[in-house]
Amino acid sequence: MAVGHDESTASLTEPRLHLGCQACGAMLVLEPALRTTRCPYCAAPAVVERPPRPGVPEPAFALGFALTHAAAKENVSRWLRSRSLFCRSGIRSAEPGDVHGVYVPAFLYSALAKSSFRATIGEDYQEQESYTTTENGKTVRRTRTVTRTEWRPLQGELEGYVADVLVTASNGLRNEELEALEPFDFRALARYTPALVSGWVAEEPSLTREACLKGARSEVGERVLKRLAGLMPGDSHRDLSHDTRLDWESLDVCLLPVWVLPVRYAEGEAPLRVLVNGQTGEVHGEAPISTWKVLIAVLVGLLLVLGGVLYARGGVG
Amino acid sequence: MSEAARVAPCERCECELEADDLRCPICGLSTPPPEREEATRERAKVVRCESCGAAVEYSVEAKAPRCDYCGAVTHVEMTVDPVDQAQRWLPFTVDPKAANQALAGFLGRKAFFRPSGLAQEAALESMKPLWWPAWVFKAGVQVSWTADSDAGSGRSDWAPHAGRTRLDFTNILVPASRGLKVEECNTLTPRYRFELGENEGRGPEEASVERFEATRSGARKAVLQEVERLAREHVQESGDIPGRRFRNVHVAVALSSLRTTRWALPVYVLAYRYRGKPYRVLVHGHDAELVFGESPISAWRVLGVVVAALIVLIAVLYFTGMR
Repeated sequence: MAVGHDESTASLTEPRLHLGCQACGAMLVLEPALRTTRCPYCAAPAVVERPPRPGVPEPAFALGFALTHAAAKENVSRWLRSRSLFCRSGIRSAEPGDVHGVYVPAFLYSALAKSSFRATIGEDYQEQESYTTTENGKTVRRTRTVTRTEWRPLQGELEGYVADVLVTASNGLRNEELEALEPFDFRALARYTPALVSGWVAEEPSLTREACLKGARSEVGERVLKRLAGLMPGDSHRDLSHDTRLDWESLDVCLLPVWVLPVRYAEGEAPLRVLVNGQTGEVHGEAPISTWKVLIAVLVGLLLVLGGVLYARGGVG
Repeated sequence: MSEAARVAPCERCECELEADDLRCPICGLSTPPPEREEATRERAKVVRCESCGAAVEYSVEAKAPRCDYCGAVTHVEMTVDPVDQAQRWLPFTVDPKAANQALAGFLGRKAFFRPSGLAQEAALESMKPLWWPAWVFKAGVQVSWTADSDAGSGRSDWAPHAGRTRLDFTNILVPASRGLKVEECNTLTPRYRFELGENEGRGPEEASVERFEATRSGARKAVLQEVERLAREHVQESGDIPGRRFRNVHVAVALSSLRTTRWALPVYVLAYRYRGKPYRVLVHGHDAELVFGESPISAWRVLGVVVAALIVLIAVLYFTGMR
């Protein structure tokens, strides 16, 4: 299930900040969605510190960038070249634009999941079956061994921890996009400190805790189902369902390293946004498909089929 | 069991935490952050280099915040995964002389396939007192299991079953040694008296320490695998699964209150040479009566047995054929 949230109530909105640069004293104007800035006069990197705000948790952790911007650009070029032939013209030969490294906020969720499950388990057995067949023009009776399945109900309980569940806390990165960039390597997790994001763009959480919690819970539900599927006995199973209670939920804001590249592939078209996991180099983007190319391919396919049929008929006739 | 400064256990699963854990390695709950002064008003802070005072930025190349002017890297609290170190040591209570005698006793033991002159001809090549590494853990485990068994079966031979059981493991040893085989470690383990544990190694001067080669996360993985293995074994052997026969046993475990201690355990590793070939024998560091290892096999005696068996076989075939 996707994170279901109403943009008007789930997003956080705040006014712009006017703060003095600690290096040169110039006035910095900060977008509320950003945690970092760079002074336009002295180029000093600054990280915003705010007093605690209700409903907006401070980042607890951050994963630092491990992939250089040159490597990110190279990964995207390779990714563009490997796109399908049916993509819009110019995508496969496009050059990625400026690369921006952004620390995107996400919620890192864990809980103790106590599930009651029900399933129908298939236990195979074999039996002899008699059938009739024609041999040398005569109808004969034969027997054969067939495998049948006996379906039996099963219910039980499963208790376990579910950790490392990530859901986006940013309006700028959809949860599907985050899932496409996963996994992140949590062995490199660091406790958040302003030095980790200094000089980089770091976003503030723009989605509420409640909206993210809903998304995290639905992801836990999927993980529990997968775990249960692996636990089922028998030769097969169906109708697996569970009722899961989540205790000891914990939610921490973690800043994730993401390279963002706009790719301009045609005049007058909005650039294609490509994302790169700043740790692993995994690339994600939604290259638009050309309707004309698909249509032509379908037509050519149909003509070939038609031609083949006509040829076959002509050949037979 | 550890004497080291204790860190409060995880609030969620009550498992033991190390001082530098950012999250509980078992359940993933974040550890409480160190006290930090809260900002009273908004400000745009410039992070300064601790060495030269210049503005610091995060560097991808250094994978840490680094000062462009002096190159100093700012310390960040990271997830660490150090190689394990022994916390508790068992002293050698068997001295080298006694170990040597134990070897002589081992070589003098009568066994049919052993060469008769082994005790006289074997030459001691080396004797190494050694502490081998092991983890000893205790934990509470909630085990959920499913299996097929013959109980309640219908048309098929099998019917599905599921259940839950709570187990408490205490003082379970998981060998971490690369030098000793698992079977050797399992033979040595029951004779150790863990109540004699000390904070430092005490034994012969030349005694060496086999280091833990696994990192902290590797240790936790090994312990978890052992918990799963033991849980599976328990479910299969305790009679929890109804019926006489079963298959497809699946277990899922949720750990709580895990405490692991890293031990260094004494053993003598002796090498002797017999007719140009080396053999290895272990003498327990606490109990010289436990001696085991490799010994040569007399090729003549094996040949004798094979020939005798062949003669018997031929004779049997001959007499049965005559009837």
